[in-house]
Amino acid sequence: MGELIRFDHVSYHYRGGQDVLSEVSFSIDQGEMVYVTGPSGAGKTTLLRLMAALCRAHRGQVLVMGQNLSALKARRVPAFRQRIGMVFQNFNLLYDRTVFDNVALPLVIRGYSHGDIGRRVRAALDSVGLLGKEKVLPLTLSGGEQQRIGIARAIVTKPALILADEPTGNLDPEMAMEVMRGFERFNQAGVTVLIATHAIDLIEALPHRNIHLEHGVITDKRPTAASSFRGGDTDGLR
Amino acid sequence: MAFVEVGMERPSWLARIGHEHLRVLFFSLGKIGQAPLAAALTALVIGIALALPAGLYVATRNLSSVGYSWQANLQISLFLKDSVSPERGQALAREMGSDKIVGKTHYISREQSLKDFRKQSGFGDALDILENNPLPAVIVVTPSAGQTQADVSQLADRLAKLPEVDIAKLDRQWLERLYALLAIAERSVGILALLLGLAVMVIIGNTIRLDIESRRDEIEVMKLIGAPDSFIRRPFLYAGFWFGLGGGLLAWALVAAGTHVMAGPSAELASLYGSDFRLAGLATADGLALSAAGVVLGWAAAFVTVSRRLALIEPK
Repeated sequence: MGELIRFDHVSYHYRGGQDVLSEVSFSIDQGEMVYVTGPSGAGKTTLLRLMAALCRAHRGQVLVMGQNLSALKARRVPAFRQRIGMVFQNFNLLYDRTVFDNVALPLVIRGYSHGDIGRRVRAALDSVGLLGKEKVLPLTLSGGEQQRIGIARAIVTKPALILADEPTGNLDPEMAMEVMRGFERFNQAGVTVLIATHAIDLIEALPHRNIHLEHGVITDKRPTAASSFRGGDTDGLR
Repeated sequence: MAFVEVGMERPSWLARIGHEHLRVLFFSLGKIGQAPLAAALTALVIGIALALPAGLYVATRNLSSVGYSWQANLQISLFLKDSVSPERGQALAREMGSDKIVGKTHYISREQSLKDFRKQSGFGDALDILENNPLPAVIVVTPSAGQTQADVSQLADRLAKLPEVDIAKLDRQWLERLYALLAIAERSVGILALLLGLAVMVIIGNTIRLDIESRRDEIEVMKLIGAPDSFIRRPFLYAGFWFGLGGGLLAWALVAAGTHVMAGPSAELASLYGSDFRLAGLATADGLALSAAGVVLGWAAAFVTVSRRLALIEPK
């Protein structure tokens, strides 16, 4: 399996601030499932933003799917972003549109035909267990269901890479576990999955490679219950 | 089913564009339909702004057609010398009638002139004081149809040189003045159209700007999932299109209604002048041009506004 993501001595800082990431180097192979962990402010979100070309590294090189992001022209960014499935903590759904329309959006952007869109959207909703809710507005659904809409939207274009930023942050433990299992399923189907998370209990339940950040630097330390706001309150989950 | 599927097939470039534009056309119409009152008010303001110059245009065009029809009835009045006898005057009128530029001649004797003047002016008593009839005999020459103004002036010059003729008078000064006034009116229609066109763009731009602000989150999400600017811009461009089209059609309707309301009184006025002049409304081609102008203004205003705003919205 080839290399899908590579960070070479990447540093990033906000305007006039300290480095959020400094000299970060790692690589992720195709088909891997990787957690990015670390306390708040350690740079997890920034790491994901760099991969999605939502911001650019100040030093070093970011390579994603063979694309050197520092050389990516601004007008090519949307096309690049279309190749990645992104999942967010606050779901980022369009609340004035139905579940179907939300999931269909990436396909509409890419200009698929009506028939194709219908088929793919139903397949994506089916894979997150929401088939039959197509015509519903997202706000009438629970947080877990809304996040699954977000995931269906991320996978509907069948991307090779899924980036998830705290996907379970707004979910109760049961739903969080369900969502994580979903990611694992996609990973088993060959999708490379990167999840930034605080949820130690979930990482322990579903172990995968872990990139742990602290103060913008990758460390060998492993996340502990103390560094998670979720703590041990989900022991009775399984 | 394999999940990773690189190079999925998409419809052809042309089919995609056509399909997408059709989709957005109706999507944006649906969006406007969600707030019909606000949309109707915006369209009304645009309609009024477009109707003003269009109405003025119709008015000047009607005035110039009135002038033109009067120009066709241009007459030359030949005032004969008092020494010319009525018989000679009548013979002269007949002789002139054989000229092919001349359509019709009409001899009015001195006595007839006096009688007419007495009847029409109300100065009959004043005329009684005079010993002699002060009025000359007149031959009214109407040029044949289809003569240019230059031909008619030439004819007047030629007739003026006849020994029996004292003065030849071609009364077209007022016509020239009318045309000069119309030229000014037409210029002001142009200026008004320019200013109100700008106003229309500001109105549409502002409406679109508010729409963009209220959909900021949506735009951010779209950028996040890789929507290119052209995709995000398109619904707003079509909103501008609909506002412009609605405003243009409304302006057309307003001008048509205005013409309808004015038709009665203007026909009455025309009949008082013995004319069968009928007020002409906006021609279909002009109406379509008006609607097209609305569309172009709407689209352009939306394009400028969205392009400027979109650059300011970046996903957080």
